[in-house]
Amino acid sequence: MSWWLRLLVLLLLAFIAMPALVACIVAFDARSILNFPPQAWSMRWFERAMTYPDFRDGAWNSLLVMISASVIATLLGAGAALALEKLEFRGKRTLEALVMAPLVVPHFVVGLGFLTLFAQSGLPRGLPLLVLCHVVLVLPFVVRSVWISLKSLDGRLEDAALSLGAPPSRVLRQVTLPLLLPGLAGGWLFAAILSFTEFSASLFVSTQRTQTLPVAMYNYVREYADPSIAALSAIWIVTTMLLILAADRWLGLSRVLGTEVPGGR
Amino acid sequence: MAVEALRLDGVTRRFGAVTALHGASLVVAPGEFVTLLGPSGCGKTTLLNLVAGFQTPDEGEIFLGGESVTRVPVWKRDIGMVFQSYALFPHMNVAENVAYGLRARGMPKVEAMGRVAEALRMVRLSGLEDRRPRQLSGGQQQRAALARALVIRPRILLLDEPFSALDRALRGGLQVEVREIQRAAGVATLFVTHDQHEALAMSDRIAVMSGGRIHQVGTPEEVYARPADRFVAGFVGDATVLRGRLRGLMGGTAGIEVGQAVLEADAAPLRGLSQGAPVDAFLRPETLSPGGPALLSGEVRSVVFQGGHVDVHLACAEAAGGRAVARLAPMLASGLAAGSVLELAGPSRCAAFPAEEPA
Amino acid sequence: MAGEKSTALGQGAPGLLRGLALPAWLCGLAFAAALLAVFQYALRAHVPGELEPGGFTLQNFVAQAHPLYIGVFWDTLLLCAGTAILSLLAGYPLAWAILRTRSRLARSMILAIVITPLFLGEIVRTYGWIVVLGNSGFLNAALAWLGLGRAEMLFTTGGVLAALVHVTLPIVVIMLAAGLAHIEPELERAAQSLGATPARGFFTVTLPLSLPGILAAGTTAFAWTFSAFATPQLVGGGKVNMISNLVYQLGFASFNFPFAAALAVSGLALTAVSLAALSLVTRRVEQRL
Ligand SMILES: Nc1ncnc2c1ncn2[C@@H]1O[C@H](COP(=O)(O)OP(=O)(O)OP(=O)(O)O)[C@@H](O)[C@H]1O
Ligand SMILES: [Mg+2]
Repeated sequence: MSWWLRLLVLLLLAFIAMPALVACIVAFDARSILNFPPQAWSMRWFERAMTYPDFRDGAWNSLLVMISASVIATLLGAGAALALEKLEFRGKRTLEALVMAPLVVPHFVVGLGFLTLFAQSGLPRGLPLLVLCHVVLVLPFVVRSVWISLKSLDGRLEDAALSLGAPPSRVLRQVTLPLLLPGLAGGWLFAAILSFTEFSASLFVSTQRTQTLPVAMYNYVREYADPSIAALSAIWIVTTMLLILAADRWLGLSRVLGTEVPGGR
Repeated sequence: MAVEALRLDGVTRRFGAVTALHGASLVVAPGEFVTLLGPSGCGKTTLLNLVAGFQTPDEGEIFLGGESVTRVPVWKRDIGMVFQSYALFPHMNVAENVAYGLRARGMPKVEAMGRVAEALRMVRLSGLEDRRPRQLSGGQQQRAALARALVIRPRILLLDEPFSALDRALRGGLQVEVREIQRAAGVATLFVTHDQHEALAMSDRIAVMSGGRIHQVGTPEEVYARPADRFVAGFVGDATVLRGRLRGLMGGTAGIEVGQAVLEADAAPLRGLSQGAPVDAFLRPETLSPGGPALLSGEVRSVVFQGGHVDVHLACAEAAGGRAVARLAPMLASGLAAGSVLELAGPSRCAAFPAEEPA
Repeated sequence: MAGEKSTALGQGAPGLLRGLALPAWLCGLAFAAALLAVFQYALRAHVPGELEPGGFTLQNFVAQAHPLYIGVFWDTLLLCAGTAILSLLAGYPLAWAILRTRSRLARSMILAIVITPLFLGEIVRTYGWIVVLGNSGFLNAALAWLGLGRAEMLFTTGGVLAALVHVTLPIVVIMLAAGLAHIEPELERAAQSLGATPARGFFTVTLPLSLPGILAAGTTAFAWTFSAFATPQLVGGGKVNMISNLVYQLGFASFNFPFAAALAVSGLALTAVSLAALSLVTRRVEQRL
């Protein structure tokens, strides 16, 4: 590679990494307004970020929603992917379209939709609404991840098990599911991350009581200029990086992404 | 016209600790077809890439038509290359593919199309101008790639295992055809293969390589009948190896005692050996024939019918590895079956080299 | 990599598989109902001071012909297109580097840096950009340190564009790399052996062959940007608005949900038309390859 291409790539990487790095630095600034570069250092924003009630409640809500939504979406997604891959049935294309469509519909439209739907049907805007909304949004990713694994799975193994006299339900449980585990784990992890970071739709469907962490952070940024959010972001960034490292270790990054990131030569 | 199309002078190429090419020297005359033959990993592709300019040598010089091109980039070298996968551009049709090199040289479209038509006629692809590469058969793709490389009238044509992607049945015909096209174009050619039959069948001269070194350069007959060293003798063609003793050197000929028999061999590889020193004699299978005086004998292990001839494999204690092979006319082999004992007479002349380890 | 497909399992237990798909059906129907609710609201009259909408009307769509709204639609389209183009320009060298870097370590490092932001979420990333672009933020401090004075960057279209590109870049790089990986490196070498300079080889061989990947990545970047909300809201600070911001404002500041819904419907229609046009182009290109 020529030197100018290397330089360009380095600059682009700097562009990508800059916001996260700068936020992490600001998190340790002792002053209460944003002013770069920091003159004195302190940990007090971390303390505030950990104790601010909205953040604590938001984190708790986010965690609850994330766990419920990712688990539900993984179960639903696996079922849908199995049916879509293994079965010919009427309405197959409709199901596929319904399940995959949230990929191309903006989150704010989905949020507005569930908000108006619940308002009209007189249903309460509680955590279940958030969970439903998140399940809809992350389902396409789970379906895709499981579907890719199903397609690469050797169907002759199932045929072999059937030919040995195992009933289909048993084959699903003892042959298909174990082989699908990596795809399921990848889909679940991706769903969990997407749910935890989801913001636009949550803003529409949450209330003061059910707001998720990103929504609480958004509200905070609009009102205050101190580096609490920087501290929270720093914690978030480090946690995410550790999770990615772990995922790469155990699952292989390409699998988690659902795209085979091609290796060069 | 220059006397040599290509000259390599002591070219060395290293990859970290691996030396892929050690001081290789080679000359290709105008119009000549030279083959690089050697086992996998011996440096054939590296040598070809150095000539093409995809890599630069760590030591040594490369000349094309008498002009040093060692530091000239690929695109200014005027070479024609046919890749193992053909590397035809999938988004262009055959005519556009063949015209690519001409257009890169700034030739106007009309003139280029004339040259393209001529080149396609030469490789017998006329009429397929508008096809996309994936709409061609393997052999047709091969010829399109050849036309694309030849149409620019390169100073040298480089072919890296161009037949390896084709099935056996196609290969034979294409080998003949490529050679005819090359001869008609009159272009100096460097051809890479690890298939000795291909090399023997096609080449004007063969450069036998191993471990990054060129062991011998010679006509197919020379390389087969008078291998320069043990490696060449073992790699090109089959041989039965018998341990013997050097009887003496007379001019260019050495006398070798093998058992009761005395064979003649080229003296060059044996110079410097004292009388009685152990040597290995390499006997080609077709030089062995049933009958006496017996040079070797053994129990027949298998008889393999090959059409025009029969290969008889023997278990033979005197031969290296305990195995010997003779190539007989089908008539002579008709009574043979596994388990029978066969005595074989040897040739008067063979190739011999210092023994690998003392007897 | 595709394995042998088995349909025996499906034929053996159609009921079981249908049952497994049932919850997904329900979920999909809930989504469809939510979309229908938006469409329905868009056709209802706004009753000031009331959350419950009035009778059916087309007024919400007629009112959108106002230059204010048309301007926001236009800005949104421009931002989406600009983001897609800039992401492609920035993403191509990165994808290239991921594929062609020799060292394994360097390759994994580049890949890790590129995809990490994908997992940070809109808020954390947008906050990072506020700190970078702010009047006493990182870039202005750097400019001042270099003696170049200060520049207005937060609350400008340029700032919003930078932050939006940052959001789409990871997915664009991944998609471009996947496309580039299918192009044999031998083709570039062939072009050079035929006398093409590396630049000519790139523009006549590599670039045309990567066009499907470029279009796919560009389409995704366009759609993602259309969906952006926090980035234009916080980095644009009300001075740079996209449809999403307008929808939110109308809903939560004016409580005019019918009009917000109508804007969302128009936005959806606009994306649908844009995406359809892009897929038409993509199909054309793929046919030519
Ligand atoms: N880019 C490279 N980096 C490191 N080592 C290399 C590189 N290219 C070639 N080598 C090494 O150089 C030696 C010669 O390789 P080369 O490709 O020239 O062999 P070859 O004769 O063409 O083999 P084959 O018949 O398998 O194609 C091998 O040991 C190979 O591992
Ligand atoms: Mg090779």
